[in-house]
Amino acid sequence: MKAKQNWRLMALLLPAIALICVLFLNPLVGVLIQSFVGDDGFTLKSISKLWTSRLARVVLERTFWLAFTVTVICLLVGYPAAYYMSQLRPRKRAMITYLVLLPFWISILIRTYTWIILLGREGLVNNALQWLGLTEQPVQFLYTNFAVHLGMVQILLPIVILPTVAGMVNIDGGLIKAARVMGASPIRAFWSVFFPLSLSGAATGGLICFILSLGFYVTPTLLGGQKSLIIANLIDLQVHKTLNWGFAAALATALLLATLLCLLIFWLATRNRPEFATGGLSR
Amino acid sequence: MIRKLLAFHFWLVVLFLLAPLIFLIPISLGESQFLEFPPKQLSLRWYREFFQQESWMEALSLSFRVGLGATALSVIIGTLASVALVRGNFPGRSILTALFIAPLIVPTVVLALGLYMVFLRWQLVDNTLALTLAHAVVALPYSILLVSSSLRSFDMTIERAARTMGAGPFKAFMLITTPHLAPSIFAASVLSFFASFDELIITLFVSGGQQTLPVRIWNDLSLKIDPTVPAAAVMLTAVSALLMLAGEMVRRRNEAHNQNSHNAEE
Repeated sequence: MKAKQNWRLMALLLPAIALICVLFLNPLVGVLIQSFVGDDGFTLKSISKLWTSRLARVVLERTFWLAFTVTVICLLVGYPAAYYMSQLRPRKRAMITYLVLLPFWISILIRTYTWIILLGREGLVNNALQWLGLTEQPVQFLYTNFAVHLGMVQILLPIVILPTVAGMVNIDGGLIKAARVMGASPIRAFWSVFFPLSLSGAATGGLICFILSLGFYVTPTLLGGQKSLIIANLIDLQVHKTLNWGFAAALATALLLATLLCLLIFWLATRNRPEFATGGLSR
Repeated sequence: MIRKLLAFHFWLVVLFLLAPLIFLIPISLGESQFLEFPPKQLSLRWYREFFQQESWMEALSLSFRVGLGATALSVIIGTLASVALVRGNFPGRSILTALFIAPLIVPTVVLALGLYMVFLRWQLVDNTLALTLAHAVVALPYSILLVSSSLRSFDMTIERAARTMGAGPFKAFMLITTPHLAPSIFAASVLSFFASFDELIITLFVSGGQQTLPVRIWNDLSLKIDPTVPAAAVMLTAVSALLMLAGEMVRRRNEAHNQNSHNAEE
């Protein structure tokens, strides 16, 4: 009876398995294969271009550096904001969480588009700077690294803040009180007790932020211009302009492996730490 | 003092997060050909324009068709799979769950490239049904996450009671469990629809000449700055905010309802 029921239940999985196999695993495996296949069978030509081609090296380096700097900025800006949220009463915190979540519901494309309007030569920011007499000439904001960072941090900040808050809320307040009773100053109690305990949530947020940054396409393309080509742009160019499928697939493979590697490192570093068991996302 | 600084920092962050919305609404209400802030004259000209231009209407209609299809697929397939994942007892459950959620974390460009190669081979580029299925893959994780977490919190004894009273497994599930799942299914639909409605990269790769709303906006951006775009953007945001609000209200009502029935039992 029990076994039969299990079979019936497993049948319910079939549509999902079919969809994921045909339109998720199949394309990903196709990309992997494509990066090892040339005109005459197996080849390492495409893959080896990842380190022999100067363009690929520069773009890979730039992508990782961009993801890293965006993540660091998000953590630095997001951590104090998360701390403020974690100290509020649950009711107020829930209300404020909506505010932080609200931008999720604005398309990434549109959020990026707004920066184009605001940062342009005739845009609000430049007009304000000139009106204040800070600059004579319009400042070039668009198509710079600054614009790319601004746009990406705006999009990824909630993704860092929310797991960090969840991690902080789980910290037992009694521990901080105990530290205070034992004579620690508020600052000492924060740095030696609260901060280490809050790292699990912040690390989770930072990891998700880093992985998503690696694959970002819309924002760097629209705000970055020619000089800040990153992996996703290069893949697009190889497919639509130079029609070099092998190289496009090799770049995609590199991106995929980097993502998996991040997850693996995170898993290895946290599997024996119970506070990570929920990934800081439990609440 | 520190507390005040923290509060100040926090509200600056919120302002920064909401900045696109704060500026986009006035910009969309401008009258001139050029985007300006603040607008010199308020008008609904570009909102009218949006509904009068055929290409926008076509994009809107395609986005709705693909979005509704992908939502239906994601929710139905996701709910079925969640039932098996939560109630079944077989090896490999956690691997399957990870696999179903993986589209959330795998870089979209990689999936887009792979799908493009598959669709070229099967001659499915420019095919609306294929596009809908691809969107369903991206939407599926939301249904799996939301419905399985709601199923896990469901008290199985109630369904078993229905079974002992003579209801078949299907009837018991539909009459007893589905109402409990309704809010999470609704939330999953909203998120699935938004995931599809907002999807750009996969669509750019596989849709051939067809334009969904994001693709239409994207194509516009590379040509010129079209003042219809902010109007379209504000309407898009309003629709998603309304959906989110509706989802939240359903959740609240359900919570209150559960609370009441608990109190009645006691």
